[in-house]
Amino acid sequence: MTVWALLMSIVLGTGSLAWGYVGVGLPQLARWIVVFGAVWLLAVWQRWRWFAYVGLAVSFLAAALGLWFLNFPSGWMFAGAIFALLAWDLTYFRYRQNFAASDAERRSVELRHLLRLSMLAILGFGLASLAMMLQMQFSFDWIAFMAIVVALGLSQIIRWFRNRA
Amino acid sequence: MSRAWFLGLLLFVVLVAGLATLRGSELALVIPVLLYWMYALWRAPDEVKLEVRRELGAERVPPGTPVEVKVTVFNAGGRLEELALDDGVPPGLEIIEGSNHHLIALGKRRTFEFKYQVRGARGGYAFGALHAEAGDTLGLLRTTADVTAPNRLLVLPTITRIKAVPIRPRRTRVYAGTIPARVGGAGVEFFGVRPYEVGDPARRINWRAVARHPEAVYSNEFQQERVADVAVVLDGRERANLRASGQSLFEHSVVAAGSLASALLQQGNRVGLLVYSQYLQWTFPGYGKIQRERILHALAMAAPGASQIFEGLQYLPTRLFPLESQIVLVSPLLEDDLSTLVQLRARGYQVLVICPDPVTFEVANLPRTGSRYSKADVLLAGRIVRLERAVSLGRLRRAAVQVIEWDVSQPFDQVMRSAFRRLSGARA
Repeated sequence: MTVWALLMSIVLGTGSLAWGYVGVGLPQLARWIVVFGAVWLLAVWQRWRWFAYVGLAVSFLAAALGLWFLNFPSGWMFAGAIFALLAWDLTYFRYRQNFAASDAERRSVELRHLLRLSMLAILGFGLASLAMMLQMQFSFDWIAFMAIVVALGLSQIIRWFRNRA
Repeated sequence: MSRAWFLGLLLFVVLVAGLATLRGSELALVIPVLLYWMYALWRAPDEVKLEVRRELGAERVPPGTPVEVKVTVFNAGGRLEELALDDGVPPGLEIIEGSNHHLIALGKRRTFEFKYQVRGARGGYAFGALHAEAGDTLGLLRTTADVTAPNRLLVLPTITRIKAVPIRPRRTRVYAGTIPARVGGAGVEFFGVRPYEVGDPARRINWRAVARHPEAVYSNEFQQERVADVAVVLDGRERANLRASGQSLFEHSVVAAGSLASALLQQGNRVGLLVYSQYLQWTFPGYGKIQRERILHALAMAAPGASQIFEGLQYLPTRLFPLESQIVLVSPLLEDDLSTLVQLRARGYQVLVICPDPVTFEVANLPRTGSRYSKADVLLAGRIVRLERAVSLGRLRRAAVQVIEWDVSQPFDQVMRSAFRRLSGARA
């Protein structure tokens, strides 16, 4: 579950940043962000933990640059930063899970961690949505993105409960 | 750089950038990071106060026997959201069941217990501290603690049973035993005749001697049997103990030394052990089962080593051994050791050398592939070295040093039984 959440965080984080850049007519930069996302996924596969630091720093840099320019949809930038933060956290959590002796132990710790992380993410998204609303940027794209995030989250929760049963 | 520092730096940079650009949305980017940071700070443990108790299923076991390790961790401090426990297993022990590391959440004044099984080769294994790493659920701020719970596991060498070791030192102790003492008195073996003394039973009178010398009456005298001082010397010099295909000749020497010491103690002798290795490890002589345990303990800890001082046997501290006592040397022997053994014999010590055969051992453990020599070459070389050794050992035998060669592929007790029978026969 952690790996899945980690991969989704990278995809959604870099995806939302790229979407934001496409939205203001900077497809070249968006392409580079997608390439960077792919490299980050490769780093997960190769277990290059250090790359999570690079990923977080680059994502925040991209979000900060995006927010600096006028007419940038701030929600996408916020989403990019929050998902990068989640990916960075999950990379290290995945490593810490190696200490677990059994699947039951791993699941128990995983549940606690993901619950707390989800709460933080929800709070972050709430703020991002608020920012979108205040700037009148609460578009259909953003609603669709939020729906995808909620669906993915719910599917994982249901899968977890089914496995536990 | 720790994760907390990195995140703090990121927070600072974004904050400065937001203030520099005077953009509220950029400043708002700080919020998720700040939330994350604040949560970690809120849930971080102040200190790790754990009490650890480790119990071993057995503390003295033969090699390869599984031993259960039970670890009980009591949290005497506050709640620990995420606690990684790693019970340090000494190198050389193999975990065969369970796990020595766990990741849990441990409430205030709660206990967590885990078990695992280990096994290992001969040696002494000291369990040290349990490493605990506690942190908030996000793992940002972490506190570590090493909680000591000392335990020791001794994997004793395998001992084979030998009935009796036929030793015959010149000097024995005063206590009754099984070794012929070259002194007349009560015993089993005929020793000589002496003039009849009042109180001698009539069946002890030697009638033949009386018939030959009718002027006096003579009684039979028997050889007293007493215990002796025996020093078992285990040669642990690295250059004498070969290693091949992951096996060491020293392990066989340890088995031999343990078995011989055990048998000699069983006979009632006063036995000491000297491990002649990187340094001298002397187990003071003693009697009985407690001494056997001491010797096994020393053998469990014995390891081969190299030292410039103890490179040859000439520094064998003979002052530790009573004069004219028995020395049992367990050693593969090197060419330059022979003169030392001859000198020992000349000084009145009875020397018995148990010699694990290094040539057979090496030939048997040579790699089957990748060698640039053919099998015939290896066999020929083995024959030449064996002949050289036979000549050297012949010199020792001529100096009245008893030498028993042991092909380690054969069981030690069987080889010793036949060798001891030969030795006893030769004496008779």
